[in-house]
Amino acid sequence: MAAHSQGTEFDLSWISKIQVNQPAVLRRAQQIQARRTVKKEWQAAWLLKAVTFIDLTTLSGDDTFSNIQRLCYKAKYPIREDLLKALNMHDKGITTAAVCVYPARVCDAVKALKAVGCNIPVASVATGFPAGQTHLKTRLEEIRLAVEDGASEIDVVINRSLVLTGQWEGSNFIKTSTGKETVNATFPVAIVMLRAIRDFFWKTGNKVGFKPAGGIRSAKDSLAWLSLIKEELGDEWLKPELFRIGASSLLTDIERQIYHHVTGRYAAYHDLPMS
Amino acid sequence: MAATRADFRAREIFTTLEYGPVPESYACALAWLDTQDRCLGHYVNGKWLKPVHRDSVPCQDPNTGENLATCLQAQTEDVAAAVEAARNSFLSWSKLPGSGRAQHLTRLAKMMQKHQRLLWTLESLATGRAIREVRDGDVALAQQLLQFHAVQAYTQEEALAGWEPVGVVGLILPSRFSFLEMMWRICPALAVGCTVVALVPLASPTPLLLAQLAGELGPFPGILNVISGPASLGPALASCPGVQKVAFCGAIEGGLRLLVQESVWDETMKRLQVRMGRLRSGHGLDGAVDMGLKGPGAHVLAQDYVREAQKQGAQVFQAGDMPSDSPFCPPTLVSGLPPASPCAQAEVPWPLVTASAFRTTKEALAMANGTPRGGSASVWSERLGPALELGYGLHVGTVWINAHGLRDPAVPTGGCKESGHSWHGGLDGLYEYLQPLGTPARARFICENLNYDTFGLAVPPALPAGPEIGPSPAPPYGLFVGGRFQAPGSRSSRPIRDSSGNLLSYVAEGGAKDVRDAVEAAHRAAPGWAGQSPGARAALLCALAAALERREPALASRLERQGVELQAAKAEVELSVRRLRACGAQARAQGHTLQVAGLRGPVLRLREPLGVLAIVCPDERPLLAFVSLLAPALAHGNTVVLVPSGTCPLFALEVCQDMATLFPAGLVNVVTGDRDHLTRCLALHQDIQALWYFGSAQGSQFVEWASAGNLKPVWVNRGCPRAWDQEAEGAGPELGLRAARTKALWLPMGD
Repeated sequence: MAAHSQGTEFDLSWISKIQVNQPAVLRRAQQIQARRTVKKEWQAAWLLKAVTFIDLTTLSGDDTFSNIQRLCYKAKYPIREDLLKALNMHDKGITTAAVCVYPARVCDAVKALKAVGCNIPVASVATGFPAGQTHLKTRLEEIRLAVEDGASEIDVVINRSLVLTGQWEGSNFIKTSTGKETVNATFPVAIVMLRAIRDFFWKTGNKVGFKPAGGIRSAKDSLAWLSLIKEELGDEWLKPELFRIGASSLLTDIERQIYHHVTGRYAAYHDLPMS
Repeated sequence: MAATRADFRAREIFTTLEYGPVPESYACALAWLDTQDRCLGHYVNGKWLKPVHRDSVPCQDPNTGENLATCLQAQTEDVAAAVEAARNSFLSWSKLPGSGRAQHLTRLAKMMQKHQRLLWTLESLATGRAIREVRDGDVALAQQLLQFHAVQAYTQEEALAGWEPVGVVGLILPSRFSFLEMMWRICPALAVGCTVVALVPLASPTPLLLAQLAGELGPFPGILNVISGPASLGPALASCPGVQKVAFCGAIEGGLRLLVQESVWDETMKRLQVRMGRLRSGHGLDGAVDMGLKGPGAHVLAQDYVREAQKQGAQVFQAGDMPSDSPFCPPTLVSGLPPASPCAQAEVPWPLVTASAFRTTKEALAMANGTPRGGSASVWSERLGPALELGYGLHVGTVWINAHGLRDPAVPTGGCKESGHSWHGGLDGLYEYLQPLGTPARARFICENLNYDTFGLAVPPALPAGPEIGPSPAPPYGLFVGGRFQAPGSRSSRPIRDSSGNLLSYVAEGGAKDVRDAVEAAHRAAPGWAGQSPGARAALLCALAAALERREPALASRLERQGVELQAAKAEVELSVRRLRACGAQARAQGHTLQVAGLRGPVLRLREPLGVLAIVCPDERPLLAFVSLLAPALAHGNTVVLVPSGTCPLFALEVCQDMATLFPAGLVNVVTGDRDHLTRCLALHQDIQALWYFGSAQGSQFVEWASAGNLKPVWVNRGCPRAWDQEAEGAGPELGLRAARTKALWLPMGD
């Protein structure tokens, strides 16, 4: 995540002035999903683009080196080579944006990526993920250790008890949620966050990144997210430095759709390599 | 596995990430047109009507100009055939129990659901409107409308007892309309038992398809008949014998006027322009298009307006660039129009928005209300207080707070001023097609040789007619205007006689200037009276009732002089007193909250005063009719200019003495004089918000004709006497309905 905002004087009044017209947000969310579909070549190209925004994620208690390795391999080769060739996209070096793992698995990921010759960053969730209810000291230590192990991006869980009491923190990349909540990335919430990003950009010239995470499973969902960013923030936000999708099973569905686009057939489970 | 399809465009799109075409197949629309051999006629009595020797016009795809079909142009006899069919089916349809009609409407809703793709592709193809708008908006709402009105029909016998369907309804639709506008009108009409003949502009296939769907349901083929023809056939339909009501929908321009507070002007303009820049115009049958066309020719209107506005010094922002020969007009923002320029007064065409700045809420309200239109408005503010203040203060039929364009079958949609005062949807929509039981049928012309130019123009001179022998004390002489008795402008008087021809008294001869003064006085009193709570208004009416009670002996003896028996006279005074008391209480229970699907939060159905209401009282029942009409008018917050009974205006003047002490000045103004002349003055006055007339057939016809000048709602008796002593006609729900207008105030909620 290269584009770091220069930071700005913290001004709480910006936040307290924010008003949200919830029914209007809901309508807008519905509209964007309905009115911004893409078909055919456009769909294929957009889906490949979506791949490049994915933080390919595994956050399971039973993660080990072997499935981390498999994940990293998939990150390097997200779409079957022959499918990419059919689209004349095989030389674009399409990979996912990053792999995202627990701090204890950062080492494995770095090692595995190195082995396949892939230089995409390793992102690590940290700071008492997903609740964030640990001491500041251990949270900072967690970040330090993850970075030491080779993580170049950290998804920090903010202290929500501070937020709920109005004590906000600044950030240069914001995420809808941990992906471990009952409700995760929803369109209405995203619209509010994107408008905040846009206002901040208009006020300060700093671009803050955005990452929806959790529940984005279908290729169709990912297209809707891309159009949402395009509509609300514009094309300049549609790059991995400013936009990521946190997902684990999304990539499989995208690959299936690409398969269908190229061959005109729906893929069997075994037609596509697992991640 | 080898790739079976290779596309190399993907590479380019991968970089630009642009949107592509999402064409919707319209094969089914073409196939439907083929069933008609690409020649559309009319749909009458469940059958296609394709008369020979008719002119035809092409129905074209407005995007490409491609000929889709030819449309036969109706003539008067085709209209007559349709009306005949509607009249015949009215006999059985209106006699059907409500549940039977409900079932039929439900079946139509299902039929529509089964053929919805055909419906939306055909509509989008023929009009060029964005398919998303038609599919997700119109078609869904059309089905909801049918279902809502089916439910209304089910409960009709209990909920609308005392009312009957008006009969055959003629519906005249403008060019550039959505079939939804037709649905808003036909659903309530059909639900209550009316049958419909719709005159739609040429080259509008969707209404014909709808009629076919309804016709093919079986037992009642003639309830919905669609004729396509030029607007010039409108009068033929309206005057066709048997047509009992005409519903007219004017052209809907669809442009918007935006008022923005100065303090947020820059910010708002910036955001608006960014958002406009993201709107996509294009072929209506493209699934990713926000704005299609609105029928052929709409863009020409828009471009003309833009050119004119620029000439008058406005700044124009157009999102994206369009080639000049494109049929699309980009979304356009016009700002800085001088308020007095012709463009600022004219209706804004679609897809234009004009923006002007205001400083205070009060100024915004004045600007928003300073137009002859009164359809709908939205208020955007995070401060609830000022938003509601504006919501209540706007002279429009619908107000959305922090939302725009929401519609629901349960919420009445209508307007005031020149947007017309008819209602669609909700209960109010049903009353449009109902009349109190026993209302006589409407004849084609009441009197064919009425001369509108001379009706009531001259006042016959009144000369001295001997000594006055009326009971003393006589009411004060003069017109009751602005809270006191004044000499008439004409400085003349007219004699009033009792039933045996004896001269009772002289009353002042009012004229045009007196009417003008009275209307001005009423306007001055209007804000204060409308601002009172219904309770306070009821209390004042009760005070007047008490005063009337005190005058009972005098009033009763006056009635005796008019030939009423003493017992009956006393009863009449008592009834008048009761009406005054009851009315105040009834008006309190007006208005309610609606809950609609798809919206969190309430919709308030408000009943607001009309403003200045002019009442021409009947000659008969000089006291009872006067009170029965006055009471609901006042209870609902109107101020009144009233012409009392011509034969005996003395009762009204008598009551004026109490009103002078009890009521604020100008609340009620009573002008005596020649009824025809005063009626003429009132009907031609543009600043009267409604007119009730009880008198001759000629007078009624004149009132209807003259009031078309500002489309004020009128209520006339067409020369038929009313049973004022009966509860239904003297104090029924009809009076309350006519004494106030509805406003729907949408209040979405959420945090």
